[in-house]
Amino acid sequence: MKNPLNKRFIRELKSDLGKYVVLSIFIIAMIAIVSGFQVAGNSMIVAYDESFEKYNIEHGNFELLANADEALIEDIEKEGVTLYENFYLEEETTIDTTLRIFINREEVNKVCLMSGEFPSEADEIAIDRIHATKNNLDIGDTITIDNKELTISGLVALTDYSALYQNPTDTMFDTIKFGVAVMTEEGYNTLDHSHIHYSYSWKYDTEPADDIEAKEMSDEFLESLLQKTMLENYIPAYNNQAIQFTGNDMGRDKLIFGMFLYIVVAIIAFIFAITTSNTIAKEATVIGTLRASGYSKGELIRHYLAMPMLVTLLSAIIGNILGYTLMEDFAADMYYNSYSLTTYEILWNAKAFVNTTVIPLIIMFLINFFILLSKFKLSPLRFIRRDLSKKKKKKAFKLNTKIGIMKRFRLRVIFQNMPNYITIIIGVILANVIMIFGIAFPAILDNHSENLPKNMLCEYQYILKMPMPTENESAEAFTAYSLKTLETKGFTEDVSLFGVSPDSQYIDVNFDDDTVYISSAYAEKYDVAAGDTITLREEFEDKEYEFEVTGIYDYSIGIAVFMDRDVLNQAFEFDQDYYNGYFSNEEISDIDNEFIATVITKDDMDKVSRQLMDSMGSMMSVFFAIGIVMFMLIIFLLSKIVVEKNSQSISMIKILGYDNKEINGLYVATTAIVVIASLILTMPLVDRIMAVLLEFMFFMYSGWMEYYVPFENYALIAITGILAYGIIAFFQMKKVKQIPMEDALKNVE
Amino acid sequence: MFLQINGIKKHFGEGESRVDVLKGIDLELEKGEICVLLGPSGSGKSTLLNIIGGIDDADSGYISINGEKTVDMNEKALTKYRRKHLGYIFQMYNLIPNLNIKENIEVGAYLSDNPLDVDDILKTLGLYEHRHKLPNQLSGGQQQRTAIGRAIVKNPDILLCDEPTGALDFNTSKDILKLIEDVNKKYGNTVIMVTHNDAIKNMADRVIKLRDGVIRKNYLNEEKISAVDLDW
Repeated sequence: MKNPLNKRFIRELKSDLGKYVVLSIFIIAMIAIVSGFQVAGNSMIVAYDESFEKYNIEHGNFELLANADEALIEDIEKEGVTLYENFYLEEETTIDTTLRIFINREEVNKVCLMSGEFPSEADEIAIDRIHATKNNLDIGDTITIDNKELTISGLVALTDYSALYQNPTDTMFDTIKFGVAVMTEEGYNTLDHSHIHYSYSWKYDTEPADDIEAKEMSDEFLESLLQKTMLENYIPAYNNQAIQFTGNDMGRDKLIFGMFLYIVVAIIAFIFAITTSNTIAKEATVIGTLRASGYSKGELIRHYLAMPMLVTLLSAIIGNILGYTLMEDFAADMYYNSYSLTTYEILWNAKAFVNTTVIPLIIMFLINFFILLSKFKLSPLRFIRRDLSKKKKKKAFKLNTKIGIMKRFRLRVIFQNMPNYITIIIGVILANVIMIFGIAFPAILDNHSENLPKNMLCEYQYILKMPMPTENESAEAFTAYSLKTLETKGFTEDVSLFGVSPDSQYIDVNFDDDTVYISSAYAEKYDVAAGDTITLREEFEDKEYEFEVTGIYDYSIGIAVFMDRDVLNQAFEFDQDYYNGYFSNEEISDIDNEFIATVITKDDMDKVSRQLMDSMGSMMSVFFAIGIVMFMLIIFLLSKIVVEKNSQSISMIKILGYDNKEINGLYVATTAIVVIASLILTMPLVDRIMAVLLEFMFFMYSGWMEYYVPFENYALIAITGILAYGIIAFFQMKKVKQIPMEDALKNVE
Repeated sequence: MFLQINGIKKHFGEGESRVDVLKGIDLELEKGEICVLLGPSGSGKSTLLNIIGGIDDADSGYISINGEKTVDMNEKALTKYRRKHLGYIFQMYNLIPNLNIKENIEVGAYLSDNPLDVDDILKTLGLYEHRHKLPNQLSGGQQQRTAIGRAIVKNPDILLCDEPTGALDFNTSKDILKLIEDVNKKYGNTVIMVTHNDAIKNMADRVIKLRDGVIRKNYLNEEKISAVDLDW
C-alpha cells in the first residue's frame, strides 16, 4: 500500500501554491540560464574545435613585401608546408570602420556562410556577421569602399578571425571598428591594390601534436623563411589571437553563472528548510501521533523532504528544457555578440546536466535532510506536547525593563525569528552582491576608461620591428620584452617588461642595476609587494627568470615590469644599446610604418573595457533584475513565515484591542528593521565580496582593472532595496490585516 | 443598563448545512455583575461571547455598552471598543510565547491610558517571582493567571471569560475562579463567564442557560457563594 501521507502533496502544493510557484520560477530561471550557457558554450566550443579541420584553418601566415614568384613558393614548400595565397586589402569604409577584404577562400581558412549568399558579382561583398550587426548593416545594404558601392550579399564568419583582432599585438579585439569580408576575385580586383597585403597562409604537411611542437616547427620554419626572403609579418596560428582567443575565452562566464546557481539553490534550500520547520511546528501533535502509531523517523523525513526535492526536480526539468531552447538561443546570441563564430549544432551536454540538475538536487537534499534529521531527533512525546525546543527548557533572556514594552516586544520577535532573519541577512547580502555586480561592472569599466589618460605611460607607445632612429624630441627609446607569469589560479598571462632609458621623462624612477619596479596593477592582481621575488617564464621555452621587486610603479592598467634598459638588454642577451620601442607624447612621423610593429594609444588601451561592455553590458541589467527579484523573493517568503508563525499571537492581540498599525509596528516593522539594517550594515561586506569576485573575474582577462564602485551605486542599491521592501511590507500588512481574530479561538490545543 | 444585548441572531453555513446558532438573544446586565453562561456544546454560548467581544458579527440585533452600539462600529471603532471596555480570558490562555510573563501583562497595560500597576498585579496573582519566565516554563494554572493579569491590567469594564478553567484541575480551577471573583470585587468589572461546569453558576450574580440558540433560563442567583466554597 502506498504511503497515504503522499496524498497530502497535491493539497500542500495547492494550499501554498504561491510560495512553490515563486521558488520554482527562481530555480527554473537560474537553471535555464546556466543550462543555456553551458549547452550553448559547449556546443560552440565543439564547433570551434572542429572548425580547425572542417574549415582547414591555417597553421600560420606570413606577409611579404611583394607577390612571391613560383620559384620562391616551391622553395618554401620544400620545408614541409603548403602555401596558400591569402592576400587582402585593408580599406576604410564611409562608416568609419576598417574592412580587411579577401578573395573568397576555398582551400584554407574557409568561410562559413551565416546568412544570405556568397558574393557572385563584382559589386557584391559578404562581410563578417558580427561586424555587420555592430554597425547595423544587413544583407541588401550597400557600403562604399574605395568609392565603389558594394551590396552586402551575405553575412559570414571567417574561421581565422573568430575574434576580430586587427593586429596580433592588440590588447583586445574590436568588433565595431574592425571587420573582415570576402569578395569575388573579379570584384576584389576592381579595388585599389596600392595597399595590398601579400599574406600567405601555410599548413604543415605533418600536423604539430601540441603548441610546444607548433612553436618548434614555427621557429624552424621562420628561420628557413628568413634565409629565403624578407618578411613583413609572421604569425603562427598557435600565437594568433584572432584564431585562439575565442577558444580560450569561451566558458569563463559559465563558471560565474554556475557559482550563482549553487548559491541561489542553497538559499532556496534554506527557505524550504525554514518553511518545513514551520510546518513541522504546526503539525507537531500530528507528527507525534504518527510516530507514536508506528511511523518511522525515516518515513516522516522522506515525507517532508519530498516537496523540496520534487519542486527542485520539476524546476530542473523545466529549467533544462528552457535552457536547451529559449536560453540556449539567448546564450548563443551572447557568444555571437562577442565572437565571429561559425554555425553549430546543439549537443547534449552531460556535464551541464550534472551541474544544473544533479548538483542542485544534492544541495537541496543535503541541506533539508540534515535540518529535518535534527528536527526528528525528538521523541514522539515531545512532538505531542509541542515541546520542540532542543534545550530542555528554553529560558527567556532578560531585557531592560526601562525599554518600552513595544520595543521589547519587537526585540523578542527578532530573537524568536532569528533563523529567518539570519537567512534574510544572508539573502540580502547575496542579492546585493548580484545587484552590485549588475552596476559595479559598468562602473569599473567607465572608471577604467575615464582614468586612462592619467594612467597612460605616454600618449603614443611604439613597438618597433627593429631599432629605428627618430628626430622627434618627445620620443624616448625603451626595450620591450614579453614574458609569461607562472600559472596562478589556473591562468597565465603576458607581462610586458620595459627596459627604461636613464633619466626617463616617462617613467619617474631612478633605476640602478638592481632596481625592478612592477606596475601597481601587477602588485594588486598578483598580491606582490616590494621585497618579494617574482618569477616569469618564456612562453615557449623552458626558461624562467626571477626578479626581486624593489618598488611599485603607479600604473594601474597594465601588467608590467620596469627596469634599467641596459639591465634588461643584458638579461635577454640584446646588444647593449638595443631598443625596440619609443615612449612619446607626440605622434612619430619619421619612421616608416613597415618598421612599426604596433602603436598603443589610449584608444587601444580602451579596447578591453569597450569590448567587455559591448559583450557583457547587456547581461548586467539582467543581473540587476535577478538581484532585485531574489531580494524580494527571499524577504517575501521569510517575512511571510514570521507573520504566519505568529498568526495566533497577532489574532490574540487584535482581540486585546491592538489596531493594525500597532500590530504592523510589532511584526512587520521588525522585518523592516532587519532588512534595512542588513541592507546598510552589510554594504562593506558586500563591497569586499564584490571586490574578490570581480578581481577573480578580471584575473581571467589579460591586464587589470581597478576595483572601484562609487558611493552612489551603493546608495542606489540601498534605495532600491528599501523601495522593493516597501512593496513586500505592503503585502505583509495586508496579510496581518486578514488574520482573523477567530484564529486565537480555534487553533488552540 | 450597562450592557444591553438585543435580538442577537447568528447562523453558520448555508442551505442544508445552515445552523442557526443564536436565534434571538435579549439580555441586560448591570455593571459589576458576575454572569455565568451555561449550556451544552453547540448551544451558542461562545458565539454569544465572541459577539459581545466584537470579534464576531451578529446577523441581526445589537450589543450596547453604556449606550455605544457595536453594530454601528467600523473595524477601527470596534478595535477601540475592545481596547477601552474589554478584557478576554480563554481556556488555552493564548499568551504570546516569545514574551516573558511580565511582558505579556505589559502587552495589556500598553492599551490603557490608566493601567493598573503591573508589579502589583504580578504579586496579586502570585507570579512575581516567575515574571522573567516564558509561558512554556509555567504550569497551566500559572499561565491562566498570567492571562487574567493581561486582561485585568487595563482595568476593563467587562471581563469575558471563555471556559477559563476548562483546562485546569479542580484546585487550580478554584484558585482561578477565586481570582476572578476578587478582581470583580476589587475593580467592579462586569464578568461574563462561559462554562460547561454547572457548579460554577453558584458564584454568579446572574445565571443564563442557553440551549439551541435561545435563552432557556435567566435568573438572579440569590444563593450566591464564594468561589472558595465551590465544589464539583
